[in-house]
Amino acid sequence: MTVAEFVARSGYTVFSEGEEREIESGYCGDFLSNIISRATDSCAWLTVMNNVNVAAVATLIDCACIVLCENVAPDDALAARAKQLGLWVLGAKENVFEAAKTVAKLCNV
Amino acid sequence: MNECIRLEYDVDGENFASAGHASESVKRTLKQMGVSSLSVRRVAIAMYEGEINMVIHAHGGRAVAEIYPDHIDIRLEDHGPGIADISLAMQAGYSTATENIRSLGFGAGMGLPNMKKYSDDMQIESTVGEGTTVKLRVDFEE
Repeated sequence: MTVAEFVARSGYTVFSEGEEREIESGYCGDFLSNIISRATDSCAWLTVMNNVNVAAVATLIDCACIVLCENVAPDDALAARAKQLGLWVLGAKENVFEAAKTVAKLCNV
Repeated sequence: MNECIRLEYDVDGENFASAGHASESVKRTLKQMGVSSLSVRRVAIAMYEGEINMVIHAHGGRAVAEIYPDHIDIRLEDHGPGIADISLAMQAGYSTATENIRSLGFGAGMGLPNMKKYSDDMQIESTVGEGTTVKLRVDFEE
């Protein structure tokens, strides 16, 4: 499922848009070194981190989208950097566990 | 064969927002050169961790990348506090990062282990009170 299709189905907030691409897996985490070591390409990365370093890490791992969980919104620096880099940043009201279930169910990953 | 592309960067120690600039630039260059995506990712991760370490622990430093046809040599040099016990610092999960740094998502104690994991050779020279130099080599896959 593409990110845009996932947005339409999940009803998640869109903070920033990127190019259309498929969500092929998921990864949950907040420690950036763990994420860059373990997350896979084209994943949906679920986190509650919302600072500008999230954009750098998302670029490194080449994730399909960032999902900020638990009503977290990107801070100003992340919002600006994500727009500049063309990164999908979504927002979920659910906690990380529930959001992961949503990603798994809708994207069949 | 000895000709290389040499890239140099100042790593700003006060600015987390610009951390990753050097690794992002090297990543872009390697992509343009047609280096495989797996090798590009290994280089970018190892170098990003090095950059972050310089920002967190050493008030910045200097990063130099020399790109050869079959590999890249990276030197990360700082004049920070140095590492008292390198073998301890290499242990996964060991970190001296402050709570403030951890709140930014760093300080998992995976920086140096990740640099080792994603490079083919890694050497650390450090003197307490003078600084640290980390040399990394990443071979490009065919």
